[in-house]
Amino acid sequence: MDSLETFVVESAIASEQEFYRKIVEDNLSSLKLVPAIGRIKVVLRPEDSLFQMVIILRNMGTKIMISDISDIEAKPVAHEIVISIKKEQYIPELLGKLWERYERANISQPDRWTVAIHTDKPEEEAAFLKETIIADPRHKLHENLVDFAIRVTPEGFRVRYHLYKGNNFIFVASEEALKHEWIEEAEVMLEKLMEGGTK
Amino acid sequence: MAILLPYLYTGGVYKHGLLIELLEDLGGYIIQKVVTGTEVNLIMLVPEKDIPILKKQSDELLGVMAEAPLTGVEIAVISPTLASHHLPHSACDIAENLRHPGANTNMIGLARGMGRRVSLSMDYERRLINEHDIAVFTFGSFRDCIINKKPKLFEGIEIPIVVTGGPDLKTEEVPGADLYVGNIGRTSHRLRKTEEVSALEKLNVEVGKIADNIRKEQSRDPLAVLPARAMKEIENQVPAIQTVLSPAPLTLQLNGVRVKLPYDEFHEKIENLEFDEGVILSELASVSRSKMKNYILIKIKSKSDVGFAI
Repeated sequence: MDSLETFVVESAIASEQEFYRKIVEDNLSSLKLVPAIGRIKVVLRPEDSLFQMVIILRNMGTKIMISDISDIEAKPVAHEIVISIKKEQYIPELLGKLWERYERANISQPDRWTVAIHTDKPEEEAAFLKETIIADPRHKLHENLVDFAIRVTPEGFRVRYHLYKGNNFIFVASEEALKHEWIEEAEVMLEKLMEGGTK
Repeated sequence: MAILLPYLYTGGVYKHGLLIELLEDLGGYIIQKVVTGTEVNLIMLVPEKDIPILKKQSDELLGVMAEAPLTGVEIAVISPTLASHHLPHSACDIAENLRHPGANTNMIGLARGMGRRVSLSMDYERRLINEHDIAVFTFGSFRDCIINKKPKLFEGIEIPIVVTGGPDLKTEEVPGADLYVGNIGRTSHRLRKTEEVSALEKLNVEVGKIADNIRKEQSRDPLAVLPARAMKEIENQVPAIQTVLSPAPLTLQLNGVRVKLPYDEFHEKIENLEFDEGVILSELASVSRSKMKNYILIKIKSKSDVGFAI
């Protein structure tokens, strides 16, 4: 699935549709969600105070472990673990995790690509570190998606329903108590979006 | 009485004091002076017949003088709430744009202004808005909301109401509004496309017309004292105003002045402000506690109320 291969905004009045499409676009780009989204459909019914949105996400990368971004080497004699970093992108998360476990005083960074940890049990710790997860793109994505949904919804629509399952995201918001039909409609929209795809 | 016209001077800081002195000699008023680095912006009221003299001086200083039709107008820019849905775009863009022709703007976010059925304004908010000269409501993109639901926010607003929104509506379609300007709806980007910028321009022009109308009405029954003169006297007689750090410590309105000093401490000084003619300010104006912070609000009475004008 390409990113944004379907991007539909529907409303009874064409000009409002255009305005809203722009709002959705701006928020997608400011939250850097464009690459993560495959298909998106938004339906607006201001006269019913109703906002429905369904999104199909693209397959995101899996969880990232320390061994994915670096080489870990245990040095039993020196009581040290040396981590040689291959991907700089995740250094803040990596250091955060390490500081939490070993305290700052035991961690040094001789250069940009190396982190050295002073520990009594280098071999066991090295084995543990290899399996440690430092970043979960899906978790971050979920946060961003919820943020995105709240930003694009008209502000007064404070009654919200959202469902995030697998690669699908359903969001319904209104000012009044939500009706079952509205959520069902959104589910139908999602099914059509999954089948239809290209438009 | 000489007719005073609003002008904006932009130029270098070097020797701009000459211009200020000349203006004071001619009987004009400096309303605001903003120095940014080596640039200076002067918003001023110039006696109509002396404009060429001032222009000559400004040319010598290599500055630019331009008309600033919204000078001395305090405008409330009201957004339904202060949430990220409305700020910084488009509400801040609108406020910024209104300041170009010299207006002072205050941004007001209502506590519960969002939504269709649930939106409402509080008495406190309405009174705060009524302290201004013109209210600009910034609404969203839905025609149905702007026509049928949002106008209830106008209840109790006694000053001219300007509405901005996305759809292209006529002013008559929006009940209670004195002016509607389209193409400035809810956006999440800075307003700088051609149609957006021209809509903002249109807003400035039309708001300028509303201000002119208010001035015209005023000229039928003039104020007992020019707000600019009251402002000048406060500068001379209340030295504490020099220490105020807020932007525009004295904010000019079409029929008054907002003084950004604490009410309890200073209201007597302001009430007893003396004019050369031997009258004090409280004879010519009502001095009250502003709804904005703890400031002082002066609303000048008209000649017919007071019986004379100075």
